Amino acid sequence: MSTSHPAETDADAESDSSRESFTGQGLPRVEDHRILTGEAEYIHDITPENCLHMALVRSMHAHADIVSIDTEEAEAHPDCELVLTAEDIKSEYNPMPTGVGRIATGEDGEPAALPEWALADEKVRFVGEPVVAVVASDRYAAEDIADLVDVEYEAMDAVADGMAAREDEVVLHESVGSNVVDNERLEFGDPDAAFEDADHVVEGEYTWGRISGVPLETAGAVATYDEESDSFDIDCNIQLHTLVDNMIYETLGYEADDVRVNVPADVGGSYGTKIGIHRYCCLTSMASQQLERPVKFEEDRLENLQGGDMHSSDREYQMRMAVDDDGTMRGLDVWFVDDFGAYPRYPINQVLKPLSVLTNSYEIDDVTYEYDLVLTNKTSQTAYRGFGVDPHIYALEMIVDEAARTLDMDPTEFRRRNLIRPEQMPYTLPSKNLYDSGDYPATLDRIEEIIADERDGGLLDPDVVAAKREEGKYRGVQPSVIIEPGASGSDWTDRQRTDKEDLADRSRDEVEELPEHLRAEIREDGSIHAFLATDSSGQGHQTLVSQLLADELEVLPSDIEVGYLDSVDAPTEYGSAASRMAVMLSGATVGVAERLLANVEELAADHWDVSTDDVTYHDGTVDRLGGDGSLSLAEIAELDAETNAAGERRTRVSYNYDHPATDLEEFDEALTQKFPVYPTAAFGANAPIVEVDVNTGSVEILTFHTVRDCGTMLNPMIVEGQAHGGIAQGIGAALLEEFGYEEDGQPQAITLFDYLLPSIENVPEIEMEHTETPSPFTETGAKGVGEGGMIDAPASIATSINAALDPLSVEEPASQIPVAPDHLRKKLRESEQ
Amino acid sequence: MSTDSTDGAAERPTEEITVIVNGEPVTAEVEPRLKLSDFLRYECDLHGVRVGCEHGVCGACTVQQDGRSTKSCLSYAVQADGAEIETVEGLAEEETDSLHPIQEAFHETHALQCGFCTSGFVMATKELLEENPDPTREEIEEGLADNICRCTGYQNIYEAVERAADAMED
Repeated sequence: MSTSHPAETDADAESDSSRESFTGQGLPRVEDHRILTGEAEYIHDITPENCLHMALVRSMHAHADIVSIDTEEAEAHPDCELVLTAEDIKSEYNPMPTGVGRIATGEDGEPAALPEWALADEKVRFVGEPVVAVVASDRYAAEDIADLVDVEYEAMDAVADGMAAREDEVVLHESVGSNVVDNERLEFGDPDAAFEDADHVVEGEYTWGRISGVPLETAGAVATYDEESDSFDIDCNIQLHTLVDNMIYETLGYEADDVRVNVPADVGGSYGTKIGIHRYCCLTSMASQQLERPVKFEEDRLENLQGGDMHSSDREYQMRMAVDDDGTMRGLDVWFVDDFGAYPRYPINQVLKPLSVLTNSYEIDDVTYEYDLVLTNKTSQTAYRGFGVDPHIYALEMIVDEAARTLDMDPTEFRRRNLIRPEQMPYTLPSKNLYDSGDYPATLDRIEEIIADERDGGLLDPDVVAAKREEGKYRGVQPSVIIEPGASGSDWTDRQRTDKEDLADRSRDEVEELPEHLRAEIREDGSIHAFLATDSSGQGHQTLVSQLLADELEVLPSDIEVGYLDSVDAPTEYGSAASRMAVMLSGATVGVAERLLANVEELAADHWDVSTDDVTYHDGTVDRLGGDGSLSLAEIAELDAETNAAGERRTRVSYNYDHPATDLEEFDEALTQKFPVYPTAAFGANAPIVEVDVNTGSVEILTFHTVRDCGTMLNPMIVEGQAHGGIAQGIGAALLEEFGYEEDGQPQAITLFDYLLPSIENVPEIEMEHTETPSPFTETGAKGVGEGGMIDAPASIATSINAALDPLSVEEPASQIPVAPDHLRKKLRESEQ
Repeated sequence: MSTDSTDGAAERPTEEITVIVNGEPVTAEVEPRLKLSDFLRYECDLHGVRVGCEHGVCGACTVQQDGRSTKSCLSYAVQADGAEIETVEGLAEEETDSLHPIQEAFHETHALQCGFCTSGFVMATKELLEENPDPTREEIEEGLADNICRCTGYQNIYEAVERAADAMED
């Protein structure tokens, strides 16, 4: 049911001389050839001459004092080049920046020091925490040497449960004195009145297990210190390399310009998680500085899963909803604990973004939102696709289901009655973010039509459903409409480090939003080169820019090459995160093209000594109006080179596309109050048809119906690819994946035999339809798509499991994510008793 | 902190092997513990062989050994002595720079995103189509169940395999 047919459109587009637009077509990607032939250089492939290799000695204890570290035998190994401990790095470098907003230290609220060194200092706080780094000629030898390091520990009690950690019986950081390092309670509207007046108050508790992106390519870093310039060159696969590079240069104690962070054009997946890999960049840099040789570290999979600083949200929710007999949602009360692991990871955590979609697709005016951010003896959290929205939407959809049961109302009808209507758009949420556009009731109608077809001779045919139940297999589906907030702003991201009382008087002038930067130049051979200031990890940014720029400049995508800037050459901009790039890069591309064309016309006008009104640009050529003469882009570039010095070339331009909320007064309150600002709201309705085997507790998704709207589709092939991938990750989250921990903090999932990624056998046929409601707030009408699927699939699968098991009156069967067979079997057996 | 410049590297046992890699014999002295994947990546400079897990789950390192798919991270180079290995680098027509039909199909159907798993999938597809030139969706599922893709959701990979099957039949 796919609406795009990429390959066919490509051929037509390239050969069509009537200048059909490339934008909106499924142009196959320019990135593919090098990847398919094995020519792509990922970080693992980068090994400079003379390079040494690092291995890490990691803690096997969740919580222990380091009594002693004996490195003598390791140093005596003939292949050993260097051994580093915390003691060594503390004398020359800084701790890695850690950050939550206000680290709770008591009434006066003075922040306490909570240093995180790149190697554990005096104490280990999670299994897998690096304690010693060793460097040798190759990784095999480095691992041999790591085995020779003798670390003596004194094990301590550990705490590996967020709710339990709040009791502070075991405290991770003595300098703080409490494991609860941040808390905020927000009230919107008048929730007290809503809960008092409503006919019913419904309560539920929901658990979102620790999952993550688990990219197939692990983290890697290759650092080279240059003594002459006293500076570092670091190749690594970190995400947001221009934003989080301070994690590296501040740790090293250098200025930004002295630490060049370069991300290869090809990164083997990130999904947000590689934002947190600066530890490896720092350690290789330190080693390189000590040895004056390049040093490389390639994380292995076991390291990645247990101690790779890459886990994501881990939440316990207590939700309440106030509802009236007629099915009106009156109030919402969200309370949760987020288990953050051993250190509060910088730069921002994932508890605030859900405010941007606080009530999902429903109109609820009176809401409270409160969280405790808690440290435990687990791997620290980093970002993951969805940035904490996925658990929120899941918990909210669960309480909606529970409310429908309480009211004895059809859950779809209950949802429909409360949907935000198209005439309310743009719609302001209680938490002050805006939904830009969309028709949610129509989307629910469409997905219901699709399900109706399934009920009529399809997977949900009543006869089939009844026969399956005889076998103990329960089928069901429960659709809902879910929002994907896109194109994050950045000003809100330091809300937790801001004195809230100052916000009341904050003016709009104080708001600083980050644009997206793009450069382009015309070369003397007529080719056009553009440069991204952000890194990519498979999203096809090069294709997107070449496609849009081709339209703007009226040339072919094959005339355009797109490269990348490193952290020194690129301005510090926000980059690839938060479903942001299609919106921001398309805006930046339009801007850069306009600037380039204006300059090209000026150059031509100057050459002919006429006014710019007397020249016109089309199809890669400037013509002189009413006279002879035309100049190709190549000739213009030559003219420019002849007449202008390198620094003043007019065929080289850059452009910053401002964040869409920057000039919109609709966002005044959100921006000045530092509430999450996501000016695009992609949306969609899902209807995964699930089949639960009540004997085993296993859940199979028979087919995944989805109707999606991301505004203008710039490249439908990439849009669909993002959605497919997001949904697959959502399926993994909903049914398979979990970083389980023993009570003593020992991780249970340290191989891919324990941490189950969805294979082709777990992902069903995805039946996808699209609608296009352009965003009124963005240059091209595009909305974000990067996190969809992961945000919405877990909630939709969980509601469908509820629906499937409705006849059995199991109490909240999907109250724990993942709905793994053992969890669900337990629930089913309890309900039988 | 201590540095120790090496006067002489540790005595590490080696063995001479000869492996036919993409049609060319490669002779090398290797440690018996050197993984086949590392041999191909570092001794033969074939970076299309990707290492994702080193415990045989993800399939990114899949190559063909004597015509059969094998996970090169799960065996040692010495075990491949005398064997014929084919990697993704051996597929494209070098002279004409034209992609193999499987590679072409992956490109056309957007069956790759970050691409880290792609060479493994392409090599697994090659074996699948050699054994079964016209596989059903169930057979594709079975044939590719040993490989993990974290980006595409597999949807377009089905399409790619079917398209490649059609192209190779012609």
